[in-house]
Amino acid sequence: MIKKRFLSFLIVLSISLCLTSFGNEPQVIAIRAGKIWTVTDGVITDGIIIVDNGKIRAVGQEVDVPEGVNILDMSDKNIIPGIIDGHCHIGLSLDIFSEMDETVAAIAADMLILDAFNPHSKDVKKALSSGVTTVMLAPGYRNPVGGQPAVVKLDTSKANDWVLKRSAGVEFSLMNQALMFDREPTSRAGLIELVKEQLNEAKVYQEGFNPRLEVLNRVVDANLPAYIWAHTVDEIASAMAIIDQYNLNAVLVAAGQGDEIADMIAKRDLPVIYPPLLLSSKDKDLKRVGKMAGSGVKLAFASLAPRTDLNDLRTSAILAVKYGLDKEAALKGLTINAAEILGVADRLGSISEGKDADLVILNGDPLQPASSIEMVIINGNIVYQRLEE
Amino acid sequence: MLKGVSLIYLQGIEMKSIKRIAILASLFLLFISVGTLSGQEIAIKAGTILPINDAPIENGTILIKDGKIAALGQNIAVDSDIRVIDANGKFVMPGMIDVQSRLFVIDSELNESRTIAPELSILDGLDPYIEESPEVAAQGVTAIYITPGSRSLIGGSGAVLKLNGSKDVGEMLLKDNIAVKAAIGVSANNESSSLGRLGDYSSIREALLETKIYMHNKEKYEREVAKYDKKMAEYEKKKETKPAEKIDKPKRPARFRLDPTHEVLAKVLSKEIPLQIEAHRVTDILNALRLADEFDFKLILDKCTEGYMIAEEIARSKAPVILGPVSTSFNDMPRLEYRNHDVRNAAILSEKGVKLALGVSGKDGASSKFVALAAAIAVGNGMDKGMALRAVTLTPAEILGVADRIGSLQVGKDADVVILSGHPLDTLSRIEMVLIEGKTVFERKDQQ
Repeated sequence: MIKKRFLSFLIVLSISLCLTSFGNEPQVIAIRAGKIWTVTDGVITDGIIIVDNGKIRAVGQEVDVPEGVNILDMSDKNIIPGIIDGHCHIGLSLDIFSEMDETVAAIAADMLILDAFNPHSKDVKKALSSGVTTVMLAPGYRNPVGGQPAVVKLDTSKANDWVLKRSAGVEFSLMNQALMFDREPTSRAGLIELVKEQLNEAKVYQEGFNPRLEVLNRVVDANLPAYIWAHTVDEIASAMAIIDQYNLNAVLVAAGQGDEIADMIAKRDLPVIYPPLLLSSKDKDLKRVGKMAGSGVKLAFASLAPRTDLNDLRTSAILAVKYGLDKEAALKGLTINAAEILGVADRLGSISEGKDADLVILNGDPLQPASSIEMVIINGNIVYQRLEE
Repeated sequence: MLKGVSLIYLQGIEMKSIKRIAILASLFLLFISVGTLSGQEIAIKAGTILPINDAPIENGTILIKDGKIAALGQNIAVDSDIRVIDANGKFVMPGMIDVQSRLFVIDSELNESRTIAPELSILDGLDPYIEESPEVAAQGVTAIYITPGSRSLIGGSGAVLKLNGSKDVGEMLLKDNIAVKAAIGVSANNESSSLGRLGDYSSIREALLETKIYMHNKEKYEREVAKYDKKMAEYEKKKETKPAEKIDKPKRPARFRLDPTHEVLAKVLSKEIPLQIEAHRVTDILNALRLADEFDFKLILDKCTEGYMIAEEIARSKAPVILGPVSTSFNDMPRLEYRNHDVRNAAILSEKGVKLALGVSGKDGASSKFVALAAAIAVGNGMDKGMALRAVTLTPAEILGVADRIGSLQVGKDADVVILSGHPLDTLSRIEMVLIEGKTVFERKDQQ
């Protein structure tokens, strides 16, 4: 056992040496893999990925490896693109009982969630160990208009451009949780009215020094996405009414009961960032995500961490498959769908030429919880290895 | 008896029809006997049997008789007239156990408001009509262990139930008084402040010390009673033989008040029942180990969230652990105790040689259906496959003292059997059939 451990340690050590020995010079690495799940172009068995300066230069079975390039042998491993968490709240607070929302003001559109992010939080390391390489940092669901989420890559130790989007849109919440007894709105009708009032005001806003209206103005112009929390059927219906009225470029967040009106969601091409499949759910609720995707709704998964364990973003997708979601759709929900919904698909979400070399290496099928994540690579750099302590 | 009935019946019939009726009757008897036989005897012809206590058996057969496993192996003779379940190409394993279940309990019924209440039994707060129960059995979980919650310091005793579909707690019950549940440093009762933690520890210790005194006083009383009985006998004898002599009647010792709290804890201190202590953080786990050292009781460590930080100490103590949740997602909201939760906990403890059962420890009863998923997540985070499977079958049965009945496929044990389309740690394997004591409690309908 110990001998085996030591051996694997040596292997990892040599791999990391070969990956890091390039220093600051332009790095070219070839990775030979047993199975490459490209996501957008099927599964390549016994393929090669050429990583050049943090980008994927080539991928396929018949790929020429340039002379003098070290080959990383992963021929018994599975490689998938870095997993993208559609919505989470990591690194935003000192404690697990994080406060993600403004509790006194109902409207916080000018608030940037990135300002509260601690890039050295231990959550970041935890996310990496679970194969998550990019996240949308989001506020919670207690503010009717709730601040601007950010999209960040999790190689935050480097002083490079890990912030992909400082402001990825504006969050809205039409959920009952946005109602409070000690500040407006206190009723559902009041909540809808308040949101509309803000959008009306933003619509007629010309110019000036009002950051709140400035950002909302970009939302009603449909060039900045609106991320709308709505969970139950009535909340989703309210969201769609507002989306229609103001012609918003919108994404539904949560939509747990969305399967019941999946046709209406699909008709509007509204993508959904789906909340974690809770391990206390009844079978009936676990089947909802598969039904919704079956109706043609584009889905991405979210951990909402620390509400659930970051490790279980992948578990969510696996459970969705167990309860009826198509396997391919599940993998897309962890990668390319999330990238498209968050507007970063030009760089992330699949193993294709020209995209960032954000890769997750597993010792088995990515949609099995018993498969371990052995290594995580962001921009061609190893950011997590299983045996490191 | 049936034969007797038919003979009596025959007596009143004319001779010419006797022959015909005799044939009919014997056919009827044959039918009855075959019918009852097939109810008693079942053969499962499996692809791969995972007995858990032993190496896997390829193309094996399990013979079930009267709800028990009568034989298993590769060359088992099967009578042609018994029911055969064809599980060719499928996996067969013992029913899984959720060692931290909340099925049948409503949150408020988990604890009494008193903090020291070891005499309570979880059986008195169960609702067997909870609808999630069939969903749990349908995932191959055939037995659950439920205990009082963590709001009381000593909250009462837990029980093992079988998910046999009965609505009668008595019929589901496999064994009660498994262990007395205690909790140290759980935020539900004291916000986990260090002051509360000291208080928890000392309150439990105080209760155990009082029990020691109680046991001492009870023994003293019993000795005095014995002495009194002896004196009384002498007195009666003397009164009979020498009635003239004046003798003092012996004085009866003052009555000893039996106390249910201390009676139960006395069983803990005399090692009849283990004390199961829920402890999450290192301090609390070490305190639990310290208590077990001081009072010499059988300790079961429950939850053990930060156990990986002191794996060697736990291994040295030989205390078994029922660990969970493997992932905090099994609970909907993060709790303060999970601050240092690590998915590798099970792998690290098990590698150090700790006897370990994996529980789901879910928020609701429905979570119990994810026992196999919990084991698979543990494997994905470094736990040995065999150990993980054992941790949801035989190890919990051993820790809970029910391994004579459940936990593995062995001759003589209950026929609690799960048939799966693939390996149990493959999350996409489907459960085909679940038997409890030979009776089918779940069968997949959409056979493909």
